[in-house]
Amino acid sequence: MPTVTIDGHSVEVERGATVLDAARYAGIWIPTLCYHPALSSEASCRLCMVELDRGDWRQLVTACNYPVRHDVIVYVMSERAQQARRGVMELLLARSPDSQELKELAERMGVKGTLWPKVTESQRNCILCGLCVRVCEQIIGKSAIGFAGRGADRTVAAPFRQPSEDCIGCGACAAVCPVGTIEVRVHKDECEVEISPFKSRVKLLVCKQCGAPILSTQVCEQALRNVGWATCLPMQACSQGNVGMGRKSAHATFWPELRKRLRLCPKCRRLQTAGRVASP
Amino acid sequence: MNQDSSLIEQIVERYDRDVGMLIPMMQDLQAECGYLPTDSLRALAKRLNVPLMRLYAVATFYASFRLAPKGAHEVSLCMGTVCYLKGSAGISQAICKEFKVAPSGTTADRLFTFTAVNCVGACALAPVMVVDGKYYDGVTSESALEILQGLGPAEQAAQADAKEAAE
Repeated sequence: MPTVTIDGHSVEVERGATVLDAARYAGIWIPTLCYHPALSSEASCRLCMVELDRGDWRQLVTACNYPVRHDVIVYVMSERAQQARRGVMELLLARSPDSQELKELAERMGVKGTLWPKVTESQRNCILCGLCVRVCEQIIGKSAIGFAGRGADRTVAAPFRQPSEDCIGCGACAAVCPVGTIEVRVHKDECEVEISPFKSRVKLLVCKQCGAPILSTQVCEQALRNVGWATCLPMQACSQGNVGMGRKSAHATFWPELRKRLRLCPKCRRLQTAGRVASP
Repeated sequence: MNQDSSLIEQIVERYDRDVGMLIPMMQDLQAECGYLPTDSLRALAKRLNVPLMRLYAVATFYASFRLAPKGAHEVSLCMGTVCYLKGSAGISQAICKEFKVAPSGTTADRLFTFTAVNCVGACALAPVMVVDGKYYDGVTSESALEILQGLGPAEQAAQADAKEAAE
């Protein structure tokens, strides 16, 4: 296994692991924004730049997607690496001046504000890291949002900049957004969930017992489909709704029970289970 | 709509339903319609089983794709180095202000599509404006506006062309 020497600390990692993996294994902090372990690395934020020893010269590389193939020496806290990262951070601060998350990270990196002019309103607060685009494509499998335009006009948007028909209102994009720009808004009156700023809206499923919103109806449908595919074949049976007919016992009781439980909010579900335990 | 779906079908079959040929397909669609209609893109995405967002991303990435119909006339203003130094930026601003149009946009009455282009290869004539293939040299803000105000609907232009050709 190759050895990675980071600022004098040596760790052994699997071939093909990244410099970032090695640093995390060694307990050395490298700031990241566009990195997520569940998604492919695109190195779009450039915040994880470190210096790589090339013998007679040193090269700046992005730690999150630089694979370790043989023994390497890496400098995280060298003057040049720190300068590079701080420079990137200053640019990012200009792009996303309102983000609390970014300000905190900047402070941790020793960056005090930015001298760069702030970007225009339409592009404000998005650092174009692409995490939301990747999670929607790779994990959710919907690609309801993506990059539109190019160069300085590049933005994350839904098709035609209209509310997306493909959006299932899962909120994964909001969950991964490192600068807190994407938000999930619940409209209780209309019983809908809105993914801001894309304006996509999806109906919410409400608890049969107490009327509290649980999750988007389309997320529920997709989850049921996934569970159906994973647990009971043939698939045909699933889509016809009479799941478990072919394969008896476990599924026959599991499926109606699951459907019933899905109609309840977590609180009511717990109350129901507790009630059953109390009086069997 | 029916005609539309058969057009999509025809284009998709032309490239053996290969998703890798998405750009040529979109080019063909634009050649047929003059632009990329929303419904056609939607139908194409569905036919190829790719997310609509992918098509929209491609359509917005390349400057040659347009999502709105073209105007009756095509107006290009050169923004190359020489034209720029001779004041084409000011001309562009004047046109945008007068006709309430954005660069690479079309006027509300679809009279013309205005594009700021990089170099039309006629630097000696700077600043240059090209209207429907006709070059106007040494334009100023005033003369450019005058030329554009003289533009009529497409039919008239076609008739004038025909007359010219006949003569």
